[in-house]
Amino acid sequence: MHRSIAGFPVVTALASAMLFGAVTVPAIHAPAAVRPVTVTDTLVSPPVLKNISKVPHTVEVNLVAGPARIALLPGHVTDALTYNGTSPGPTLEVNEGDRVLIHFKNNLPEKTTIHWHGLHIPADMDGSPLHPVGAGKQYDYVFTIPRGTAGTYWYHPHPDVRTGYQIAHGLYGAIIVRDPHDPLPPLPEKLLILSDNRFRPDGSPEMSARGTLQAVIDEENGREGDVMFVNGQVMPTIPIRSGEVQRWRVINVSAARIYRLAIPGQTLLHVGGDGGLFERPVEVNDFTLANSERVELLVRGSGAPATHTTLQDLPYDRYDPHTRPADWEVARDLLSLQYLAAPAVAPLVIPSLMRHIAALDTSHVGARRVLVLSQGMINNKMMDMMRVDVRSRLGATEIWEIQNVVTMDHPFHLHGFQFQILDRDGVPEPFVSWKDVVNVRKHETVRFAVRFDDFPGQWMYHCHILDHEDHGMMGILEVRSPQSRGKK
Amino acid sequence: MTALRNSKYRHLVWLLPIVAVIALLSFGPPNASATVQPDPGLALVKEGRQSVITHDCSGCHGGGDPSMPGWLDGVRSPRQIFLIGPCADPKTPNAQPCFHTYPRNLTPDNATGIGRFTERQIFNALRFGLRPEDTPDTEITGMTPGKGNFPANPHYLAVPMPWPAWRHMSDHELRAIAAYLKRGLKPSVNKVPDSEGPPDFWADSYTADKIGTLKSPAFPTAYEQKPK
Repeated sequence: MHRSIAGFPVVTALASAMLFGAVTVPAIHAPAAVRPVTVTDTLVSPPVLKNISKVPHTVEVNLVAGPARIALLPGHVTDALTYNGTSPGPTLEVNEGDRVLIHFKNNLPEKTTIHWHGLHIPADMDGSPLHPVGAGKQYDYVFTIPRGTAGTYWYHPHPDVRTGYQIAHGLYGAIIVRDPHDPLPPLPEKLLILSDNRFRPDGSPEMSARGTLQAVIDEENGREGDVMFVNGQVMPTIPIRSGEVQRWRVINVSAARIYRLAIPGQTLLHVGGDGGLFERPVEVNDFTLANSERVELLVRGSGAPATHTTLQDLPYDRYDPHTRPADWEVARDLLSLQYLAAPAVAPLVIPSLMRHIAALDTSHVGARRVLVLSQGMINNKMMDMMRVDVRSRLGATEIWEIQNVVTMDHPFHLHGFQFQILDRDGVPEPFVSWKDVVNVRKHETVRFAVRFDDFPGQWMYHCHILDHEDHGMMGILEVRSPQSRGKK
Repeated sequence: MTALRNSKYRHLVWLLPIVAVIALLSFGPPNASATVQPDPGLALVKEGRQSVITHDCSGCHGGGDPSMPGWLDGVRSPRQIFLIGPCADPKTPNAQPCFHTYPRNLTPDNATGIGRFTERQIFNALRFGLRPEDTPDTEITGMTPGKGNFPANPHYLAVPMPWPAWRHMSDHELRAIAAYLKRGLKPSVNKVPDSEGPPDFWADSYTADKIGTLKSPAFPTAYEQKPK
């Protein structure tokens, strides 16, 4: 059967009445494309924050957020937002057990916070939207790095509603927590901060204007860009010798893009995730890295000398069919891996058991919770800074079931507490690891165990697609000690 | 009350009204239990069932009548899938855009149906065309995008769901339909693909100049007449 709606045919086998008006379909307008020239500089790591403390096991640093004139897009100096004048911001390097003191100054014209993504630290040091630092104000972030948490983390602004804007303009940086007794042998180490962005012709970040179709698409997909960066560089090069094994720490700081990473023609050794090393290395061809997730990889120089290959972002369909980009099936090159014509490196041994991770004891569970993710909402509600959504008891182990009821991936992040994934759609997780974000795929249900072992207070949980987070896809968890019952 | 004021139990005087209420609730006036009150929930669900039948929901969403398998649990055959756009014309099968839309599972299954949405969200879907998974569980205070708390970028139900006509049903009737779907149907596990559509979620198709306003125009309009 055929029917026409204002020139728009509709066909169906059913003879249902169609009672609506004209159906017109807007075209998807691509953002103003400013394609950079191919740049093949060697990958540069961001500077490391200078420790000004002389006290052992103490890291004291100065960090300033403020406007600066830099080139977010190579060759185009524009107004940007930076930590200490650079984007990515300087890396915070600490050891397990260190006392950390960060003198933060906000020179932005608006409020901000710094969220130390993934670190297990007190609630008032977490940089959540509940603890904003006003324009021109200072705040000292003070915390201790717990033992057993060596790994790769990152820091970024987390003010109410403006997180996406501030990160898009350059505010993000890496955190590396080191274990003085790291089980891996000493290896050449690379930090890879993956981001994407899109720009106006002058090289400033293009943010969609209210009321445009692009704003609708950004609200749905999260803001994606057509320029891919590693450490703020476009298509940089990493040199590697034949047989050499490098340790890569990879962070996805993109607002919305989920990467499916691969180096064509070779496997990767996946050795760690959000909360540090796994128990055992896992060999993979490719893997997805959702927003704010981190991974540690061992990469072998396996190509012929004087050849090169690329680290690629392979197609991955996280999208709702309404707003799936036309070019979603295009693989994107992120960096060039250049095999050196230098003498081969002797093979080395990677321990098959890197550490023990005890599975959380779920024989006595304090609460089982269901959190339903839909589009821009959790449990059919949008964020309210005055509302506590989940109340948990200090010391309790809980099982959280995160159910995604829409046809779009939502990376779910819990502040302050690392968790262990139990199963996805009922399929047990193959091994235990520590996570602070889990990508809950379209219509997927993920269960994880979490123990609120320390740090009472109010904590955020949210979708880490920044547009969703800013839109209100966030809730508040309050962890209360039994003694504080009845008190606010 | 003087005796009470002097009694050693006078500090318990605040309990009196509570005791009285409990006594009333427990023993009650004798006629309250004698009259059998109809269950208002059941009555509402049955009204909703009647509306669902008369409005041919099953014509797209599945099943012949409530006694038949597949009742309202969504697409189970390719014949139930809509093809929308120029590609629906057999003369131009490759023309774009081309959308498949899938009548969804209306039973209250949590994973594949509408179990995770509230009756108010279903009401908002029928009254305003707003997709429940994109619209908070709240009373919509505006009538057009951006007014009140009506979303500025509304995401509408997939074409050809005829909500622009059915929104004119009364609040009560729409609430009854929501009550029937949520409480009167057994959950049925049937995973239906998600509908495709334009990136504006049909916003441009459902503007007031195309579908009219929620408040019906005064009778008679230029195309109507008072009966003679």
